[in-house]
Amino acid sequence: MEKVGKSRRRFIKAVAFVIASVSLLWKFFIPRISEKKPLLRVARADIPASGALVFRKSKVAFVKKGNDVYALSLVCTHLGCTVNVTTRELVCPCHGSIFGLSGEVLKGPSDRPLERLTVEEQGEFFVVVS
Amino acid sequence: MFKDFLEHIFPRLILEKNLRIRYTFCLGGLAFTAFMLLVLSGLLLLFYYQPCPEKAFESILFLESSVPAGRFIRSLHRLASHALLVLIFLHTLRVILTGAYRKPRELNWVIGFFILFSAVFGAYTGYLLPMDQLAFWGTHTGMELIGTAPFGEIAARFLVPDDVGRPVSLLRFYTLHIAVIPLTIAILCFLHFYRIRHDKGVLPYL
Repeated sequence: MEKVGKSRRRFIKAVAFVIASVSLLWKFFIPRISEKKPLLRVARADIPASGALVFRKSKVAFVKKGNDVYALSLVCTHLGCTVNVTTRELVCPCHGSIFGLSGEVLKGPSDRPLERLTVEEQGEFFVVVS
Repeated sequence: MFKDFLEHIFPRLILEKNLRIRYTFCLGGLAFTAFMLLVLSGLLLLFYYQPCPEKAFESILFLESSVPAGRFIRSLHRLASHALLVLIFLHTLRVILTGAYRKPRELNWVIGFFILFSAVFGAYTGYLLPMDQLAFWGTHTGMELIGTAPFGEIAARFLVPDDVGRPVSLLRFYTLHIAVIPLTIAILCFLHFYRIRHDKGVLPYL
């Protein structure tokens, strides 16, 4: 049999190895940069002095307590239903969890308070960022 | 002199008996492999770590959450550091049990001791860098410990000029961890390998 040089095979293997490792390294060097998108824009004047301003579609409620304005996520921390907002508490229709207006748990089965979303003040507007 | 060094690092031939695995278990070689793994993974971590107290922990959270394989590389670095220490200690034990520290290999025993010391010190300086609670208090107690040793006050003042977890001391631990100690270990290792070949391998104990 004719003697075949192994150098070409070795060269192809080396090239494949280099390409594979460079592409893996390239992935490592490109991090996922999370860009903060404004989810909701609310005028300061629209928020009622007591109670909450509810956005059912984006599942956010703005609550004003004294001078403090915060946004509560309306996703129940039990199994993810959208909670109903009453004047004094937030009630989940699915399994009856009840949360206070600050998001704290008043009655189970949920065991974690409602998530608070980050609110940024931009002049006359409050902006919720995700 | 340099040619002599290279010829010992890359010899033309090696005695087959010197490669018998059941005598050395290649513990030193495995330790050096762990060291090379540490250098490589550490080099990748450098691209994301920020050595200032406010940013350090944040940058690690970013590395773990947003960088592909970031958590893997960091875990690899941590595990390899554990492996390095374990392997070096086992290697030292092997050298003691086979009597390889005796004449004519005393110098290599001393070099090996300094490698061991540098590896422990390297692991310790890496401890502060994440700037979490474990790192902070671990370094805090460590500095108190060093202070009780002779000349410990001077060492502690060199390592921590302001206070544990403050900018200058973090930067100092960082510089030691990524530049001074790895370079020292690498130089000592090649000196170590040179001496092994120079003393004709692990013979005549075989």
